[in-house]
Amino acid sequence: MKKTLRSIIGGLALASMAATPAFATSVTFKDPVGDDHGPGEYSYPTDAVYLPGSFDLTEFKVEEKGKDLEFSVSVNSRLADPWGMGVGFAVQMVFIFIDTEADGGHTGGIPGLNIQFADDSAWNKVVVLSPQQQSRVMAEARVKVADKLGDVVVPRRTTGRGKTISARVPKAEIGAGDITGWGYQVVVQSNEGFPDRADFLTRKVNEYEGQHRFGGGHDGDCDPHVMDILAGSGAGAADEVALQHEMLAYECGPDGESVRRATLRMVRQ
Amino acid sequence: MNRRNLILAAAVGAALAMPAHVQAAEIEWFGSVYAKFLDGDRRLQGALYNNAESTPGESGGDQGQGIEFELMFRSQVSNQVEIGGRLKSRFNQNFWTNFGGFGPEEEDPRSAQYVKLRGIYAIITPGYTWIDSATIGSNDWGMFDPLTQGKYRYIDRDNASGLLFQGSIPDANLRWDLARVSLPRLFAGPRFLTTRDPNDPALSYEVQDAAYTGQLRWTPNPDFNATAIFTYVDDDEIDISDIDMRDGQNTTSRYTNRVAALKADYSGFNAIDIGGSFYWADYSFDSSECDGNINGNCRFSPLLGEGADDVAWFINLDIADVLIPDLTIGLQAFHVGADFMSVQSARRESDVLLMDGWMSTWGWGRPDYNTGNRFNGNARAGVGYGGWNGETQQVVSLMADNDFTDFDEPYAHTVHGYKGITIVPQYRLGSWEFKGEVSYLDYDTNWQACGSPELGFRAGCGSKYPRNEGTNSWGLGGDYRSAYSPYQDRETWFYGLRADYFLDLAKGVDVGLYYRFIDDEDRRVTNAAYLADAYDGFPDAAGFALNEDWVPNIGLGGCVGCDDRKAEYSLIGASFGYQLHPDLYGTIILEQYKVDLIDGTTDVAPVGMAFEASNDFGWIEYLTGDHTKNRIGLLFNYFLSGVEFGAAVDWFWGDYKAKFYTDQNGQRVRLIPTGDTVATPMGNISTDKVDLEQYRLKAFMKVSF
Repeated sequence: MKKTLRSIIGGLALASMAATPAFATSVTFKDPVGDDHGPGEYSYPTDAVYLPGSFDLTEFKVEEKGKDLEFSVSVNSRLADPWGMGVGFAVQMVFIFIDTEADGGHTGGIPGLNIQFADDSAWNKVVVLSPQQQSRVMAEARVKVADKLGDVVVPRRTTGRGKTISARVPKAEIGAGDITGWGYQVVVQSNEGFPDRADFLTRKVNEYEGQHRFGGGHDGDCDPHVMDILAGSGAGAADEVALQHEMLAYECGPDGESVRRATLRMVRQ
Repeated sequence: MNRRNLILAAAVGAALAMPAHVQAAEIEWFGSVYAKFLDGDRRLQGALYNNAESTPGESGGDQGQGIEFELMFRSQVSNQVEIGGRLKSRFNQNFWTNFGGFGPEEEDPRSAQYVKLRGIYAIITPGYTWIDSATIGSNDWGMFDPLTQGKYRYIDRDNASGLLFQGSIPDANLRWDLARVSLPRLFAGPRFLTTRDPNDPALSYEVQDAAYTGQLRWTPNPDFNATAIFTYVDDDEIDISDIDMRDGQNTTSRYTNRVAALKADYSGFNAIDIGGSFYWADYSFDSSECDGNINGNCRFSPLLGEGADDVAWFINLDIADVLIPDLTIGLQAFHVGADFMSVQSARRESDVLLMDGWMSTWGWGRPDYNTGNRFNGNARAGVGYGGWNGETQQVVSLMADNDFTDFDEPYAHTVHGYKGITIVPQYRLGSWEFKGEVSYLDYDTNWQACGSPELGFRAGCGSKYPRNEGTNSWGLGGDYRSAYSPYQDRETWFYGLRADYFLDLAKGVDVGLYYRFIDDEDRRVTNAAYLADAYDGFPDAAGFALNEDWVPNIGLGGCVGCDDRKAEYSLIGASFGYQLHPDLYGTIILEQYKVDLIDGTTDVAPVGMAFEASNDFGWIEYLTGDHTKNRIGLLFNYFLSGVEFGAAVDWFWGDYKAKFYTDQNGQRVRLIPTGDTVATPMGNISTDKVDLEQYRLKAFMKVSF
C-alpha cells in the first residue's frame, strides 16, 4: 500500500513537473498596499463580509504553464467565501485587460466599470476572474458585452487560496507572442449577484457607501466603479498611488452624465 | 467644507433654483419570478420546502410545484433620501394544485398566494460631517458580527427592522455604527418568548423589546484593523407589582443580555497573517419563570434557564508560501463557553469555525430507520434519509435554524461548548489543488450532572440548560440545536482531504476527489457512583413513550463503560463536472458514507429522556450498528441572461444493520439476539438488516428583471 501511494505521489509530481517548463516565462507586477480607494476617496460597503483589504491589489502575475497561461491576482486580505460560492472566494471580481497587439483593440471599457482606455493602451482581451460559474458569467457577457464578446475570456475554474485568486486559460484564447511584451491592466471590482440592468456583474459606487455599495463616488454612472488598478511601472512604488488617482480622475455633469471618463493606461514590463 | 457638504450645498442651491413643479423622483422597479419544483419518493406535501419542522402545519414536503413573485422598488427621492422595499408573494404551500389559492383554504395565508409588504426602508444622508447615514426600517444587520448582532438569515433578511446610524471620522480612520434592532417576538427570548405570558393581554408586552448595538471600526493602516462591539438586549415586561395604571405603568426587565467584543487583524508580517477575537457575554434572567424540571417549561429555549456569563474567543493564523511555495496553512484555535449567551447571534449563513464540522447528511434526517412509520409526524417532518447536501454552517446559537430549507442548502449546527484547534493546509501541484483538514475538538460541556454531580442531574441541570430536542451526541450525530448533555466526557477528531483536478479531456472535466473521517467518542458517565442517577429508568417517558417491552436496567449494573458512545463516520466521494453546452454545466457526484456506531447498550437512552423516546411518536431512535449510505447526485445549472435554471437530483440507497450490546460482569459485551427483535427503550428493534432508499429532486427557475 505504501509503495502504491508513493508511486501515485511520485507520478503526480513528475506529471506536474513535466507540464511546467524549467524556466517558465512570467510577468509580475506589484501594486502599493492601501490604495484600494479608486480615484482617492472610495470607501468599502458597510457589510461585514467586505473585509479591509479585500479589494486592495498587491500583486499580479501571469505565467506560462505549458499551453496555458496562469493568472494570479493577490489582495491584502485573506480570501473568504461568506456567500458559499464554493471556489474559495466570493466578494472579489477582477478584470485583467491585456494589450497583445501593437495595433487595434478596444478603448471602451466593460459595462459597469465606467472606464475607458487611452488610445495607446487599447486592449485586445479581458480575462474575467469571477467566483461565479463560467456559464453564468458568459451568459451575462453575451448580452451586456455583446460587441466585444469574442474578446472576453472567462476561465473554466477560478479559485481563491490564501490571498490569491488564480485561474488558467489556454494561451491560444489570449493571443500569440511573448507575454512579456504585452501590456496589462488589472481592475479590482466586486462580485455582484444582483447587478444593475446594464452592468456586467459589477458592484456600484455611490456617493454614500451602503451595506453592499461602495461609497465616495457619484450616484450617476459617471464615476469609475473601480477600487484598485495597476499604475506606473507596476513596481509597487509609493508614487503609483498618485498615478492611479490621475488615471481614475473623472468629472460628472449636473445630471450624472459623464463629462470626463476615467482613462486607464496599460502597464508594461 | 468637506466634499459631501459641498455636494449638499450644490443640491440645496439646485433645489432653490428649481420651479415649483419639481419632477417626482423616479422609482426604479426590479424583481424576480421564482418557480420551484419538488419531487421525491417520500410523497409528503407539507410545504414547498423539504424541512420546516418548527412551525406546526408547515412540516416538510418533497412534492409539488409553485411559483412566487417579488417586486422590488427603490427611489432616490433626493440627494438626501433613498427609499426602497418589496412586494413578495408568500412561498410555502402555494402549490399549483391550489388553483390560484382557492384550495385547500383561500383564507389560509400559507396557500392563498397573498402578497406581503416587506423590506421597507428609508436611508437618510443629511450631509453632516458627524453622520453619514441613518437607515430606518428593514435591515439584515450584516454590518456587525456573528456573535454579537448577527446577520439575519436570507429569508428573514428584511423581517428584522430597526434604526441604524453610521458615520466615520476619516482623519482618525474610524467608522462607527449604532443600531436599535427590534427583537423578534417569535423567538428571541427564553422559551422562545419575549413576554412572560403571551396569552394574557393585560400582561403581554413585547413591542418595545430591542437590542442596542454599537460598533467602532479602526483601520489605522492597511495592515492592521481593530473592531470593538457592544450589544445590549432588554426584554421589557409589565411590572406586576404595579397594576395601577393611573400614574403610568412601571416596567421591569424579564431578561437582559450584554455582549462585548474586541477583534483585530494584522497582516504586516511577510508570510503570516494573524487575527483574533474575544467575546464576553453576560445574561441575566429570573430563573423562577422556569419550573426547574429538565423536561419542564424551559426545555425548549434558545437561552439558558438561569443567568450566566461566559466568554468565547478565536485565534486565526494564515501562513503562506513558507518553506514550500504554493503551500498555505490556515490555523484556528477556538473556545466557545457553554454558558456564552448572545440572543442576537447569527442563526445560520455564518460559519464561525474554520473546520468543516459534522457531515450534514446525518443532520436530523429523521428517516425513521426502524419502523418507517408514516403516521409519526416527527418522522415526516425531517429532510429524509439523505439529510442535507450543503456544508455545515457552525453558529453560536441555541436556535441554529434549518427551517424552510431544502436538501441542497447548508446545514446550520450550534457550536456551543466547542473548544479546539483546526489546521487546514492547501497546496497546489501542477493542475492539482489539495486541501486537508485536521481538527481536534474538546467540549466545555464535558461535565457530570451539568457540573453538580453531588446533586444529580435533575437538580444539577434543572432548567438551566435547555435540552431542546435532547439528542446531543445521540444517534447518528445529534440535533443541530441541542448543545447540552447532562453527562458528557467527549472528544472528537476530524480529518479531511480533498483534491481538485482539471482533466484536459474534450472540453475539460472538473474532477473532485474527497475523503472525510470523524472519530467521535463520549464516555458519558465517568463514575460508577453517578450511574443510578443518570440511568434512572427514564420516568419522564414511562407510561406513554417508553417501550413497554423493555425492562429498565437502572444504574446499568454499575458498568461505567457500558454507556460509552463511539462513532466513526467516513465519507469517500468523487465529482465530475462538465460544460455540456455553453449555457449548461452538469456535475455528477458519487459518494459513500459509513457510520460505525456503538451508542451504549440496549439499556441506555439519553439521560432524562421523555416524550421523544418512541419510534412511533418521537425522534429518538436506536441506531447502534453499521450504516452504509450511497449517493448518486446530479447537478445542473443553465444560464441565460436574466434567468437561471438549476436542478439537483439525488438517489440514495443504503442499509442499517443493528448491533446490540449489554452489560455482563461490569463489561460491555455484544448481545447475540435469539429472536427477531431486541427490546430497547426506543422500541423493539429488528435484528434484520434494514434497507433504506430515497429519491429526491429540486429544480428551480429564477428570472430577474
